[in-house]
Amino acid sequence: MEKTQTGTRRELNLSQLPDTPLANFKTVRFGEIQYSPQQIIRMDRGILGFEKRKLYTIIERPEDFPFKWLQSLDDPGLAFVIMDPLLFKPDYRIQISSAEAEIIKADDISKCIVFVIISVPTDPSQMTANLLGPIILNTEKRLATQVVLSDQEYSTRHRVIA
Amino acid sequence: MLILTRKSGETITIGDNIRVTVVEVKGNHVKLGIEAPRNVIVHRQEIYERIQEENIEAARQTPVDLGQVANLWKKRKQEPEES
Repeated sequence: MEKTQTGTRRELNLSQLPDTPLANFKTVRFGEIQYSPQQIIRMDRGILGFEKRKLYTIIERPEDFPFKWLQSLDDPGLAFVIMDPLLFKPDYRIQISSAEAEIIKADDISKCIVFVIISVPTDPSQMTANLLGPIILNTEKRLATQVVLSDQEYSTRHRVIA
Repeated sequence: MLILTRKSGETITIGDNIRVTVVEVKGNHVKLGIEAPRNVIVHRQEIYERIQEENIEAARQTPVDLGQVANLWKKRKQEPEES
C-alpha cells in the first residue's frame, strides 16, 4: 500500500502554453469553453456511475472559490462541484492501493492532489462531501481516478458546513 | 452464478493468480483473505454502490449559482464555531 495525504495545497497549474492549439467544447453550464491539451484530465475508469465519461477539465473561477468545477469534455451537461477536503476536514488522510496508484501512474505521490465531490442540495448550507470516494489527480501526467476507500470512518455525505 | 461450498481455511482460485481463502466463519460473518496481483482492485460492493449513488446525486444537484454557495461557505468559515 502506498500512503498519500492531501497535505499539498499547491495550485493546479492549468495555465495553457501560448503555442498549443485550443479546442472548443460547448457545455450546458458554461456555454462554449476553450481548453488546451494540457488542461485535459483523463480518467480512464471514469467516475463511478459515469464510467463512459473519461475526459474532464477543471474550471476554476475566482468567485467560486473554494469550489471548482470538474467539467466533462464528453458530456456537455455533466459537471461536478469539487473542493479540497482539507479546507473543512484538516485531518483527512487516505490510503490508496498500488493498483490505484498505477492507474494514474503515480510514481511520485507528491505530484498528486486529492479533491472530493460536493453535493449541493436546494439548501446549500446542507451541502455534503463524498469523503469515501475521493478523486486523485496526478498533476504531472494529467491522469485521475476515483478511489474507493475501504476506510469505514469516512462517509459519502460528510457535512461541509458543520 | 457458480456456487461452491467451502470450509474455513479452504481456498478457491480464480484464473491463474487470484486466490480467495475463507479465513474465518462466525455466525453470518465470513472473513475472506484475498490474494491478487497488484493491478487488481478489490473492494466491498456496497461501498462501491454508495459512492456511485452519491456521484449520480451530486451530478444531478449541481447548483445554478456556485458563487452564492461559495459566499455562504466563506461567511460560515469566518463565524466562530458555535453556530
